[in-house]
Amino acid sequence: MTTTTQTELPNSPKRFNWPRFLRDHWLHVVMIPLAALWLSPMIWILLTSLKTDVEVFDQSAGFLPEKLNFSNYPSTLSVAPFGTYLINSIIVTGSILAGQLVTITLAAYAFARMTFPFKNLLFTLFLLQVMFPIYAIFLTNFVTLQEMGLLNTLSAMIVPFIASGYGTFMLRQSFRQVPSELSDAARLDGCNHLEILWHVFLPLVKPTLIAFAIISVVTHWNDYMWPLLVTNSENVRTLPIGLGLLAKADSGADWPRLMAGTTLVVSPLLLLFMIFQRRFIDSFMHTGVK
Amino acid sequence: MSKTFARARRNEMFLAYAFLLPSLVFLATFTYWPILRSIWFSLHDVMLGDPEIYWLGLENYTRLLDDRLFWKVLGNTAFYTLTTIPISIVVALLLAVAMDSKLRGMAIYRSAFFYPVMIPSVAAGMVWVFLYAPSYGPVNEALTTVGLPRLDWLYDSDWAMPALVIMSVWKYSGYFMLILLAALKLVPSDLYEAARLDGVNAWHRLIHITIPLVSPTLYFVIIIGTLHSYQVFDYVYIMTQGGPADSTNVLTFYIYQTGFQYQDIGYASALANALLFFVLGLIGLVAVTLGRKVHYLGER
Repeated sequence: MTTTTQTELPNSPKRFNWPRFLRDHWLHVVMIPLAALWLSPMIWILLTSLKTDVEVFDQSAGFLPEKLNFSNYPSTLSVAPFGTYLINSIIVTGSILAGQLVTITLAAYAFARMTFPFKNLLFTLFLLQVMFPIYAIFLTNFVTLQEMGLLNTLSAMIVPFIASGYGTFMLRQSFRQVPSELSDAARLDGCNHLEILWHVFLPLVKPTLIAFAIISVVTHWNDYMWPLLVTNSENVRTLPIGLGLLAKADSGADWPRLMAGTTLVVSPLLLLFMIFQRRFIDSFMHTGVK
Repeated sequence: MSKTFARARRNEMFLAYAFLLPSLVFLATFTYWPILRSIWFSLHDVMLGDPEIYWLGLENYTRLLDDRLFWKVLGNTAFYTLTTIPISIVVALLLAVAMDSKLRGMAIYRSAFFYPVMIPSVAAGMVWVFLYAPSYGPVNEALTTVGLPRLDWLYDSDWAMPALVIMSVWKYSGYFMLILLAALKLVPSDLYEAARLDGVNAWHRLIHITIPLVSPTLYFVIIIGTLHSYQVFDYVYIMTQGGPADSTNVLTFYIYQTGFQYQDIGYASALANALLFFVLGLIGLVAVTLGRKVHYLGER
């Protein structure tokens, strides 16, 4: 049907043909406003961070800042130790990821390629962890960490997340797809399980490892509830906690400064997302399939 | 020969347990031990930071049944989940279908809808407090422009919860959209082509072809959505503290309040066990009802 209309009208009339434009591009006509709506909170953060206090509360001031005012950024940095928060966030997120990569690789290999008693039972235990909401166990984990004397340390934010049922499951699925001829060949060459895992399996599942790493980093970099509970001093706080405190201190009075802080906190991940868009999208996309 | 084989199997068994050990140590300490312990705590009077505990039997659970706030909080949680998840999934499915039609500028649209997933909940919560501000917030400005009445949003006990739902749809639809998009790409395009040639319109193609074929993924997204919906804790904490008049107090926040503000670990543990019970029950329910209706295309 579309081909006939195209051949009938090779040269459109000089005047712009609105009905035809709408018919051909109706999806864009719907999607552009919708995308703008989705982007508007982020645009609002950026615009507000460049306004003055007066403009924010002035209804007649309009949507755009009168002139670009960058002073909110140094002002945010002077009221809160964002450098320390940043370093803490990096240490916490990095340590969780490193720990997880070790535990899930070993466990996933055992589940995918080895036979041992109680395999199914153990695998169910791993899977159940995915279903258990952290909110059902955060109280008792808090008490446990208190008894271990780990409260208000960076470790308190790391240790509860080292084992990952989800990561183990994801990686086991990938390991199972590796052709068994490859590991048999390595076995005949005299490789043991660890060598096979390291030289044969890991290089082949790199995309899965990257996908898991991205999801893990996004989750723990942004985590709020747990770090909030287990930290109470500046030197161990992470970026989201620092931002929350800044909001509490300002109590909505200094929106431009707060939005400057928000921009600083959201930008590391958003920048990485913009640079490695394909990788991020692929990672999150394929959490669903299989 | 068989002896060496048996030894090889035994060695493999030990090695397998050694491989599982690191995970199991952490799973046991931070997932399974806390669950057992929270059952134990729920049968006692336990105060935060107080080493002495007293046996109560099922008293915390009978208290829970009589606690009107508990039922209110449960209702709020159900309202939040049963609105946020269906709305987000419908939005996500429509977006995914639009993206799947080889739309020009797809990458830009995709990122525009997905980026909220990357934003920390605390940042998202804060900017929405600002957006919803009754006197100077842009949401009310926009409502005025199109001639609708202004609302008090987070300060109005009728609108505070819907405000959280709207924000959550913005935050999570993009994630569900991506997962569904991955599933749509696997649907053979000749199915659509055949239906189109038979004169089946777009709406019927969606209902009769797309939805049945992506139903395993849809089912998965419902489970993921349920698991994500606990994250509402962050928004309640940041935006409303459960108010006004407990209209946004949800189960996860009530556990926090009871445990950390009132320091009543015993009762908070009973609440946490109720949460666990509901979650596993809900997932079981979804599995037996929707899970059976799911269509699988080819092998899985």
